[in-house]
Amino acid sequence: MTAPPLLELEGLSRSFGGLVAVNQVSLQVQEGTITGLIGPNGAGKTTLFNLISGLTPPHAGRILWQGAAIGGLPPERVNRLGIARTFQNLRLFGPLSCLDNVLVGLHSADRSPLLAGLLNRPAFRRQQDQLRQRAHELLELLELDRLADQPADSLAYGHRRRLEIARALATGPRLLLLDEPAAGMNPAEKAALADLIERLRQRFNLTVLVIEHHVPLMMRLCDRLAVLNFGQRIAEGTPAEVRSDPLVIEAYLGSQA
Amino acid sequence: MSDLSLLVQMGLGALLALSVYLPLRCGQLSLATPGFYAIGGYVAALLSTRWPALAAAGAGGLYPLPALLLEMVLAVGLAVGLALLIGRPVLKLRGIYLAIATIALVEILRVVNLNAGWSGGAVGIFAIPQPFDGPGGYLVCTALLLALCCWFCARLEQTRLGRAMAAIREDELATRCMGVPTAQVALSAFVLSAAIAALTGVVAAHFLNTWNARQGGFDASITTLAFVVFGGSRTWLGPVLGGLVLTALPELLRPVGDLRLIVFGLVILVGPILAPQGLITPERLAALARAFPARAAGGNGVRR
Repeated sequence: MTAPPLLELEGLSRSFGGLVAVNQVSLQVQEGTITGLIGPNGAGKTTLFNLISGLTPPHAGRILWQGAAIGGLPPERVNRLGIARTFQNLRLFGPLSCLDNVLVGLHSADRSPLLAGLLNRPAFRRQQDQLRQRAHELLELLELDRLADQPADSLAYGHRRRLEIARALATGPRLLLLDEPAAGMNPAEKAALADLIERLRQRFNLTVLVIEHHVPLMMRLCDRLAVLNFGQRIAEGTPAEVRSDPLVIEAYLGSQA
Repeated sequence: MSDLSLLVQMGLGALLALSVYLPLRCGQLSLATPGFYAIGGYVAALLSTRWPALAAAGAGGLYPLPALLLEMVLAVGLAVGLALLIGRPVLKLRGIYLAIATIALVEILRVVNLNAGWSGGAVGIFAIPQPFDGPGGYLVCTALLLALCCWFCARLEQTRLGRAMAAIREDELATRCMGVPTAQVALSAFVLSAAIAALTGVVAAHFLNTWNARQGGFDASITTLAFVVFGGSRTWLGPVLGGLVLTALPELLRPVGDLRLIVFGLVILVGPILAPQGLITPERLAALARAFPARAAGGNGVRR
């Protein structure tokens, strides 16, 4: 028997009032893979991310992280287990500089005691220099380094999307949840982003779960694809398998009634 | 009132403004500052008037400074203890609901102080011993405290706690998703706020010479909040300026007679209209630093 998958969802459900946003969804994410989550608007993709990252507690089902149940943990605990995310509607710390945004992501890595920081001890300064160095490396990797001192809300849209990724990476995740990272980008930027995600996976040994509407991009980028429709997982497999699945074609194009 | 006394009051106002600023800095609209201020005042008033052994050691009829320090330690201890006790449940509330809960705390303390036997009731406590023989001594003491609190707030902005506070103010859920235990961070800000307010209360009780339940009521909640709104709540310099200016203004306006309350009200009204973020914002400070680069050279070290 092989090791348990990095992340496993078992019959996960969540409803809001009468609306079942996520309905009995099961999914396995193997370590080192890029798994895509696609589906029409309102299919429950972002709700699924909120369940995994601890923002919304599930009503039924289990979330297993390396075989251990983590459903119901608060988001800060989930993050420290090694799951980081970005947000579809961009939730950066607007007036803070890009560097400070990433430094907030490095919060758990900053071990210096408060008193040492207040007194500006040499050990504190050394550690802050190291953290800044790491933050700059992450910004450089996402081609944001020259904007390090700019406030986040002064950035162009595409830069903000990349800053969200830099901030999430700063928390040192093993699993990165990307919620529509290519939204609002032109085809050239989308292609560059796909290359970037692939590079990040290799550099950090990442496992990636990504929501994206642009199907050709997902076909190219992902090892596995899962399709949600009306809160249910209607297909799962390699991109080629999913593309020819009749249920998927029906969800996207409608049935020939 | 002498000029020196006014300066002392301005310093005390700035200290209270810093106490309101700390929770606000991390997005918590807490109006509990006057409650902890009252606790500090009662600790000082009760210890110095009901415990003769403390005052006995003083030279030249003055209340001894070590006893004043002891009062500060006890007052901070009591305030921090209460803040830790009520902080967890109260800080689950957000925005206006947190404001209401903290106003309730201030009111509870006021009513207890008004009716309890040990607090002197409505009459209060009189003849609080003087550790200094004039306003000059109080000015030095207040200035030292204010410098200490300013230094603390300025250094805090360079630590991970300060950064986490700024992040929570912008987006608490996103901050949690970055692995930051936001409940702990907010509680830290609340506790530090309580400590500064209690310290201020100790000095104020001696300075005013009398203490009663009218010190630190709902009015003070609103006044101290106005300090921060006027000065700006995103850097420590804002509340200090707001506290200094708005405490001085009613006194400086005495020559215009009854008009002064109207002018004071107008300043509080017009300030936020012209500068919604307060007079002092990090952006304006950065612009100033660019205009005078030489003097900012030893700045915060963010620039490489």
